[in-house]
Amino acid sequence: MATNTPETTEEGRRPGLIPRLANGNVELWANLIVLVWVIAFVLWQGVGFAITIGTVFAIWAILAVSLNLVIGFTGLLSVAHIGFFGIGAYSVAILTSKTDYSLLRTEGIPTYELPFFAALPVGIALAGLTALVVGVVFNRFRDDVFVLVSFGFAIISFNLFLNARAITRGAFGIHDVARPVIGTRVLDGELEFLVMALVCLALVSALAWFIVTSSFGRVLTAIREDEQAASVFGYQVTHYKLAIWVISAMMAAVAGGLFSSWTSFIDPNSFILLESILLVSIVILGGLATIWGSLLGAMTFVLLEEGMRFIPFLPDVYVGQARQVVLGVMLVLLMLFRPQGLLGRYRL
Amino acid sequence: MTQVPARDAEHYALGTVGVSKNFGGVQALHRLSISIPKGQITCVIGPNGSGKSTLINILSGVLPMDSGMVIVDGVGLRTVHPYETPDLGITRTFQDVRLFNQISVMDNIMVVLTERKLWPSLFQRSKSEHRQRAEQVLRDVGMWDKRDAMAEDLSYGQRKLLEMARAMALDVNIYLFDEPFAGLFPQMLVRVKDILKQLRAREKSILFISHNMEIVRELSDHLIVMDSGELLVEGDVDEVLAKQEVIEAYLGA
Amino acid sequence: MRRLIASGSRQGNILAIALATLVVAYLAWKVTESPSQSVQFAFNGLSVGAVYALLAMGFTLVYSTVWFFDLYYGAAAAIGAYSVFYLRSKEAIGGLYQVQNPVVNVLFAAVVAGVVAWALYEILWPRLRGRVSQRGMYGIVAAAGAAAGVYSGLVFTYTDNIHLLFGPVAGLAIGVIVALGVREALQRLTGDEGGRVAAYVSAAVGMAVAVVAAALIAGTPETKLYLSWAVSCLLAGCVGLGIYRGLYVTLRQRARSPLVMLVASMGILLAISAAITIVFESAPRPLPDAFGSRPLEIAGGNIKGFNFFTVGVSLVGFAGLLWLLQRTSFGRSVRAIGDDEDVSKVVGINTTVVIAIVFFIGAVFAAMAGILSGHDTAIQPRMGLLLLLKGWIASVVGGIGNLYGALVGGFALGMVEQFGIWDLAGEWKDVISFVVLILFLSFWPKGLLPRK
Repeated sequence: MATNTPETTEEGRRPGLIPRLANGNVELWANLIVLVWVIAFVLWQGVGFAITIGTVFAIWAILAVSLNLVIGFTGLLSVAHIGFFGIGAYSVAILTSKTDYSLLRTEGIPTYELPFFAALPVGIALAGLTALVVGVVFNRFRDDVFVLVSFGFAIISFNLFLNARAITRGAFGIHDVARPVIGTRVLDGELEFLVMALVCLALVSALAWFIVTSSFGRVLTAIREDEQAASVFGYQVTHYKLAIWVISAMMAAVAGGLFSSWTSFIDPNSFILLESILLVSIVILGGLATIWGSLLGAMTFVLLEEGMRFIPFLPDVYVGQARQVVLGVMLVLLMLFRPQGLLGRYRL
Repeated sequence: MTQVPARDAEHYALGTVGVSKNFGGVQALHRLSISIPKGQITCVIGPNGSGKSTLINILSGVLPMDSGMVIVDGVGLRTVHPYETPDLGITRTFQDVRLFNQISVMDNIMVVLTERKLWPSLFQRSKSEHRQRAEQVLRDVGMWDKRDAMAEDLSYGQRKLLEMARAMALDVNIYLFDEPFAGLFPQMLVRVKDILKQLRAREKSILFISHNMEIVRELSDHLIVMDSGELLVEGDVDEVLAKQEVIEAYLGA
Repeated sequence: MRRLIASGSRQGNILAIALATLVVAYLAWKVTESPSQSVQFAFNGLSVGAVYALLAMGFTLVYSTVWFFDLYYGAAAAIGAYSVFYLRSKEAIGGLYQVQNPVVNVLFAAVVAGVVAWALYEILWPRLRGRVSQRGMYGIVAAAGAAAGVYSGLVFTYTDNIHLLFGPVAGLAIGVIVALGVREALQRLTGDEGGRVAAYVSAAVGMAVAVVAAALIAGTPETKLYLSWAVSCLLAGCVGLGIYRGLYVTLRQRARSPLVMLVASMGILLAISAAITIVFESAPRPLPDAFGSRPLEIAGGNIKGFNFFTVGVSLVGFAGLLWLLQRTSFGRSVRAIGDDEDVSKVVGINTTVVIAIVFFIGAVFAAMAGILSGHDTAIQPRMGLLLLLKGWIASVVGGIGNLYGALVGGFALGMVEQFGIWDLAGEWKDVISFVVLILFLSFWPKGLLPRK
């Protein structure tokens, strides 16, 4: 349930920061804790590691923001996003990879050696096209059934990445994914890449903000609340749902492109169903129907892994698993006490 | 879309010709033909399950009809898509008040006012003219001070009022109200009655469902009596209420 | 009821019939082309389908009672399979991956203790109310729970002596079942409801059977694997019941939509599968052989004895569930709750207890399916989610909320999957399942045998 902290006093002025914190304003506390955590982390681990973590954050945040458009603003609980992420990642990897397969014993795939900025639009377009086709089929499903079919899309796309060996090299993965080149400058450095990832994040967030503050965004929330009522007031709801689905998938493809370029090697293991469930929990944790919340959720998720290292007797191999346990428990607690997530504007 | 000339297009805003609707073997409407006069208040009465709500659902395109035709302004339509209804000049409320719960009262009204086309709506921010119209509508029903509240936090009466306001924000010719008076306090009743009268004064055509005979007598000009999916009798309110069969089938029971 | 899915259109029906014809034609062509191979595929389809049918039965039972998708169901399958591995890790491939973890033992013991305490309280309190004080009742229940906890802790610690530790309990259970059966039969024969003779005779027979069975089981160390199955199923059931009573009851009062429940159970699934990975590592593990692995040859196809057993288990499970739902008062309560929970509460059904038992049974079915599929292939911490999805699909294919549908849907899905990979490669079978699902949801959203 939402905290019943009054946002405005009787005179209509917002109370100061300290009183609101003292009243247990969850949103403020969440922001404050994550901020302190970030600062502590940078001081503790040093700037170098913070840059790495920052890039991971940017990629997850782009995914979370894009997924929030679908879950939080349109009310479609989708587990499918990892598929679009993968399409973006594989497109960029296949189109930019320069591996000479004659030296490798394993089977090869054709190389195209395109620059990153030529490959990324292809990936985005491909993800958008896939989303369009999938969306036309999925548009009639709602609620739990939508969850089930979106599980289906995630599994089908994972199987395609794994088994369409002529295109993706299956479990061998694709090496030597190119880094972006701006002018003549190759973005080889971690810091340069971080800046680029953050720019992408800013662009995606700005676009998401532009969408949700427009009349279009308001219609999406109306569709989320009552599809039939929205249609009676003159909206072709299927078109709206399809549009946001495609836009969101294209944003996820941006994240995918960045991811494959950053790691320079991808294989199907990055696109398993579990990652998609983790992504959904990030979105719910940060808060439904809020863009800032998704950024906060992604930050929490990334820092949580580092936080897990404080647990005594936990071998480093299991840090990711421990984070998963904590996330799972958090999901349960959120559903019990705060179904809209930390900063959410919409309760499931 | 078939077009057929309808009777008295200039007198009747809306009508049905031989509309039937089946729900898995249950005949909800059976060859129903009614007409709703322009600029008047029409009331539909009938026992529970007689197909009153189904009628409104078919007129507003929420349910597809099995056979028959809906006539809007003299044009016969075999299918009505819900998203076409504002263009046809029709809007409605629902029996089980259906608001956009988790958005603000103001946004509930704004949704009906803004751009319908997908692409332009993406580039439309809230225009001041829309805001003014929404403010006017909310002030009309006395809910301007609630504009920032979530729709789900309102009381039942307020929700009912907001739903009517949302319908009235659309400037159309035909209003379909599904039980607008059910479960309201006397003060609220007066308010809703006033709303209906105002609409009539602006020469709008109104169809509403009610079980309250006093209100029916007071407000309606035209009366439709339904029983198990069929039209029992239709006509001027005083004439209909004087008929023996109505008294037996509905009022006397 | 809420309309979940838009119903199919006329063109949709034509398309669907065309599609079905195509599939049948393809099958017919395949069968005439190579009969012996198609027998083999049919056998594979049967044994896979049996697992799916088991999953679908439990899933549909839970879903049609509480009307939300419980993802814990997948975790229950993983818990069942891993619990067998835990209990028998010394025998699987020569004890290469032995696991014995006191934390796990304590955790399991705590779950069992909690569930036993709760069950005792629910059973005894209505009968003893007025004779025993509330505090006294708590004392009795806590003591019994603690005893059960200690006992189950011992079972999990001394896995080598499971036949000595758990054998008597299994014998007792067999005795009780036999006694109940005998009493039922005697009452039918004599037409004497609640007669004393029947009660005495059945008690005597039951006790004798229990003693003999307990002695036999305790004296045969070969029963260890089968006892581990029973323990694992009970454990998964207890966890399921515990999650329902401890979490879902509260959550359902607060939840505004079934999606809240789905997300919460997704959290549980995440946490449990990660916990399993921490204890057992993420690599696939084999379960020890059951019934030997030499295949029999029938009509040109090979089938293992174990696969017959799998099919048998699913049929027995189906018959048992059918009997439970259609012939017992418990079944009537379950159906009443599925139709309208609030009304059931008003007419005096203890909905919490009934639903808790439903969750227990559902989890037992899932665990059994997990164990059977684990013996057939291997176990993996992530197996739960995939099994859950297959069960979900099978119940949609069969018609959700219908027990017959679950059986038919499970076998149908298994067959389609196996025949589908005849020309494609085996790795595409998950894709095939989901394509089947999407086709069914689009054209036959109510499934093969719709719920009335």
